[in-house]
Amino acid sequence: MDFSLSQEQRMFRETVFRYGRDEIAPLCEEADLKGEFSFEIWRKLASFGILGLPLPEELGGSAASILNCCLAGEALGHAGVDGGSLLAWGAHTYLCAHNICTFGNEDQKQKYVPKLATGEWIGCMGLTEPGSGSDAASISTTAVKKGDRYVLNGSKTFITNAPVADVFVVFANVNKAIKHEGITAFIIEKGTPGLTTGKPFHKMGCKCSSTSEVFLSDCEVPEENVLGGEGKGWIIALSGVEWDRCTLLSPMLGAALNNLDSCARYANERQQFKRPIRSFQAIQHRIADMKVFVEAVRLAVYRVASAKDNGQMLNPLQAAVSKVYAGDRGFEMASEAVQIFGGYGFMHEYPVERNFRDSKLAAIGGGTSDIMRMIVSRIMMM
Amino acid sequence: MDYQLSPQEVKMQQDLAAFCRTEIAPRAMMLDGSSRTEAGTYMKENLKTLAQSGWLEPGYMSDFIDLIAVYLAGEEIAKACPATFLSVRASTFLCAGALRLFGTLDQKQRYIPDLMKAERIGAFAYSEEQAGSDMAAITTLAHKDGETWRLNGEKNVVVNAPIADVFLVLAYSEKDAGAEKGMSIFICEKDADGLKIGEPVETMGLRGVPLAGISMNNCVAAGILGGTHGKGYEQVTKILTMGKVGIAALCVGIGNACTEISVKHSKERKTFGKPIGLYQDVGFRLADMFTINDLGRMLALRAAWAINTGEHEADIMAACAKLFASEAVTKIANWGMQIFAGHGYVAGSDIERLYRDARFGEICEGASEIQRSLIAGNELDKFLPR
Repeated sequence: MDFSLSQEQRMFRETVFRYGRDEIAPLCEEADLKGEFSFEIWRKLASFGILGLPLPEELGGSAASILNCCLAGEALGHAGVDGGSLLAWGAHTYLCAHNICTFGNEDQKQKYVPKLATGEWIGCMGLTEPGSGSDAASISTTAVKKGDRYVLNGSKTFITNAPVADVFVVFANVNKAIKHEGITAFIIEKGTPGLTTGKPFHKMGCKCSSTSEVFLSDCEVPEENVLGGEGKGWIIALSGVEWDRCTLLSPMLGAALNNLDSCARYANERQQFKRPIRSFQAIQHRIADMKVFVEAVRLAVYRVASAKDNGQMLNPLQAAVSKVYAGDRGFEMASEAVQIFGGYGFMHEYPVERNFRDSKLAAIGGGTSDIMRMIVSRIMMM
Repeated sequence: MDYQLSPQEVKMQQDLAAFCRTEIAPRAMMLDGSSRTEAGTYMKENLKTLAQSGWLEPGYMSDFIDLIAVYLAGEEIAKACPATFLSVRASTFLCAGALRLFGTLDQKQRYIPDLMKAERIGAFAYSEEQAGSDMAAITTLAHKDGETWRLNGEKNVVVNAPIADVFLVLAYSEKDAGAEKGMSIFICEKDADGLKIGEPVETMGLRGVPLAGISMNNCVAAGILGGTHGKGYEQVTKILTMGKVGIAALCVGIGNACTEISVKHSKERKTFGKPIGLYQDVGFRLADMFTINDLGRMLALRAAWAINTGEHEADIMAACAKLFASEAVTKIANWGMQIFAGHGYVAGSDIERLYRDARFGEICEGASEIQRSLIAGNELDKFLPR
């Protein structure tokens, strides 16, 4: 076992943290209040190379390890960058651009990845449907081959980045009789006839990521836009799970660190009954629980990331532990942070309020906590 | 960075697990139900069994203790019999370990080989009736009588006291110098003049552990750990900080045992035509048991690594691990009991014994409240107003 970070990794995290704190975090409160995707934050992420982190260098990325991607997510969240902007980054970089890198052919990579790496184009991925969430294999969007094109019909929902996206990776079934083996991924460009997006949803948290439905109505997609081959969609969808369990959770770890810092600072400064509230044990012990949480969730997230970097198969138990703990305990801890701030914690102007709302997503998106427990219990009962 | 155990570490753990399954685990119930006198005899046999098989010996004279190895071995022994782990730990880690880290060459040679072979049993006596986490409040005093140190005071609960041959005893050697400069750890042998071992104490759980108070009435010490006095506080703090990883091993080991038998029962026990583990409430509890125990193990290994490498704030990592794993195991044992229901509540069931054993973790060697205060103080001090 080796839990060390290299000097380089520590410096990288520190550099990203400073950038996030000085350049991005000051924009987040206003952007969150507006509840819209912030192109200004997007450009800030892009100009620092965040959007292309794990992508190959020859396609405009930095070929960063998975762990370094986690360090960046952690650092940005820790610095006070909102969960929505970081979710937009995650959906774009990992679920869209990186999937094209991994499963795309040379033409597809050359055409899409460089512009996604710089953030000039925004990417999204559409799997979930109104009637198909946790039971992802049951999607009803269809793709019918017609000459050298596929005709797609159906609708997707809760698609992060859809309202602002230029490139859509969309899953549809070419043959429902063979169930998940018919699921196929398509790259669809904005403006393709038959592709429309709905009005952005008003969400509880992660407000700076723009989320909407995607409608496919006789949407014709050329066959060269099939990603990874017909029937390979299920494998692509499952590969997204690996990212969900590490890189996409790392901003949640970051937000918990941000809460821990701000609560520790506040508890020192805030005076009641003529003494700082840090002198009350009920405050102290919440701080301790938050610290234990960040250390435990960091281990869970880094473990998945380092296994991926070391070329080990994803351990479904370790992946589920990471997700369920970050989701459920993360929400409880975010609530305790609000409690420490009392009335101020209930106000928009304090990041603990935003972190609280944002934190709920970890128990829902990319496989709910219940699904995680189902996975673990099934393995245990085998 | 590699967060997975190496193949060698996995193999060591599997081999020890197999050994414990046949040699130690079958005796756990007997130890729990035996009289206090019998428990001492049986426990000595267990220590001998483990020692003779070589599990306790490798590298024992080195002054570096690989806490990852200690943790992994501890987890398996605790899983087989939590009481045995606690007794082994008091002798080979707290007592022999302190000798390894702080003893003079002569002290090491005189005691460590015997302790590791279980020829002699060790104990570590620090807490008192009115001094647990508040170590500075101990009242045991040592004074010099010619060339001899003599001890006066009482220690109320000392693991292994009824069977121990060698005691390490924390006392003030210079009360006026305060805790940090005025404490020393003394070595006392069983037959020392003025040392009296009390009657074995009955406990809720971990009943196989021989436990008693000791009193010292002008007790003659065989020496000061390390040879010079005034280092006791530093020594006891260091060994007990490392010891938190051991308590985490105890808790995760019990957690593993609870989880394993709960899974087995969930497969075998059928209600309304199907195994109870297929009901979501039971299945999800199993998942939660696995999850928090797994995280407890990761935190413990993380803390062990931090202490091994001398990382900054390793003591905080150890506190996080102890706090998390101990609170996890009381939940795990509780859920396990719920899964066994009536079959678990009857005396003589494994989950009933483990449920009682599990409760020790949150209480011992710095209760959860103390760990939280330590962890919080460290975080809060980072943001002291300038």
